[in-house]
Amino acid sequence: MRFDAVVVGAGPAGAAAAYAAASGGLKVLLVERGRGAGSKQVYGGKVYSHYLEEALGDLKGAPIERWVGKERLSIVDDAGRTATLEYEGGSTRAFTAHLTKLAAWLVDRAVSAGAVFVDEVRVDSLRRDPSGRFSGVEAGGELVEADVIIDAEGVNRLLLERAGLVERASTRDLALGVKEVVRIGEKEVEERFGLDKGEGLSWILVGGVTGGLPGGAFVYTNKDTVSLGLVLYVDAAARAIEEPVHSMIEKLRTHPALHRYWADGDVVEYAAKLTPESGYRYMPRRLVADGLMVAGDAAGMLLNLGYTFRGVDYAVYSGYMAGRAAIAARDRGGPTEENLRELYEEPLRRSRPFRDLWRLRGVERAMEGGDRYFRRYPALMGAALRSMFELGESTPSIYEALMGAAEESGISIIGALVDALMMARSI
Amino acid sequence: MSETAGLQRIKVEDLLQRDSWDVDPRPHIRLNAEKCAGCPTKPCTRMCPAGCYVEAGGSIVFSYEGCLECGTCRVVCPMEAIEWDYPVSGRGIQYRTA
Repeated sequence: MRFDAVVVGAGPAGAAAAYAAASGGLKVLLVERGRGAGSKQVYGGKVYSHYLEEALGDLKGAPIERWVGKERLSIVDDAGRTATLEYEGGSTRAFTAHLTKLAAWLVDRAVSAGAVFVDEVRVDSLRRDPSGRFSGVEAGGELVEADVIIDAEGVNRLLLERAGLVERASTRDLALGVKEVVRIGEKEVEERFGLDKGEGLSWILVGGVTGGLPGGAFVYTNKDTVSLGLVLYVDAAARAIEEPVHSMIEKLRTHPALHRYWADGDVVEYAAKLTPESGYRYMPRRLVADGLMVAGDAAGMLLNLGYTFRGVDYAVYSGYMAGRAAIAARDRGGPTEENLRELYEEPLRRSRPFRDLWRLRGVERAMEGGDRYFRRYPALMGAALRSMFELGESTPSIYEALMGAAEESGISIIGALVDALMMARSI
Repeated sequence: MSETAGLQRIKVEDLLQRDSWDVDPRPHIRLNAEKCAGCPTKPCTRMCPAGCYVEAGGSIVFSYEGCLECGTCRVVCPMEAIEWDYPVSGRGIQYRTA
């Protein structure tokens, strides 16, 4: 069997790559290890639409749950005291969706464009010909040959590791996301979160929700369900976590300040996924080799700023670029390393998503500052707001509340300001 | 954070019951017991979201059936004692809404 392009993995990157390559007339095979499209897909819950629209032209028929009309960011201290910033009234560019369904929709688009989709096939290795050029994939002892391979295998880069193209993943480069989907009903979603019909909420929480571990929690509303979960930086968590991660997500679900939102709901699914903690750092040194391109999570195309994550849209974008590059390479003498560098890697490195990954890499690094951001500042905030709002005999000014909180929590206000400045400068 | 009456935490075994599976009789994870025995910290017992690794009498008892296929155990194992791949033939976890 021989194809112009073989795409490994039918996630957002792989499906977009297959769609783009097939749209340009290439004979494309899209290989997926799961049963049917989407069955192995996990993410948090929100997708920014811009790059999907750019790649696909439109979102017709996309399985959108809700367009996000309300954004919340909460800082929670260890005592459960919470300060929340809420943003609404803007014009939304993001929607919530189940990735199982969104990936299936993307695969349908690829198939409509002419790609051949094969599921239940786990690729075991990337094959090279005697000249060292990547020439196909091997699955269960069978070889499929292709002019070019697009590796969209995801965050666990088993194939790239085996091919010697990337090092074994380090705990320092990865974050673990765990998620529960709770069904409460459409009316309840809107009533409990104060949403208009069809409107969605995106809510990020940091601090006590992870027991002070670097990372955060998220809540996204779907049509009649709520997705809630935790993201933990693997290295810090592996060293400091005191109870199993499955117990921590249950602690989140039963959190006194949160459980009323999904009280009496049924937990209908429990899921887990690794993600690059800092996409920039996770990126392979080279995104191309002779006959090979890497896209999506495997390429580190994920931006994590603590309060926002861009993974699915960046994956679609990089996959789409790779698919287009496969077409352009054919018209230019084939997918040699040089051609693919010029047609995929360099344009990707010049693109807005890539430049943002580079520009914002300092924020990701600052997030590792751990304790200060995830335990001590939430404690400072909790103490300050308590003395501002929980009034008894005396009424402190904001200044007195802050100074009292600094004393109570043992955190210097100056230090906090310096950190804020350093954080701002690193951007 | 305290627990609230009427809202008990769900045990991981019951949490996993909410998912759909097609378990492969052939394990997709292999544990090197010798390497594993020398591990002082055993982060797999806390970091595996499916609770696949349980410490019993000083050693790890492990099951692959409830694996969510995230790959965390492979990277957190300080002994590199875990041989990990995805299940074949579409077996394993079958996500519907994730």
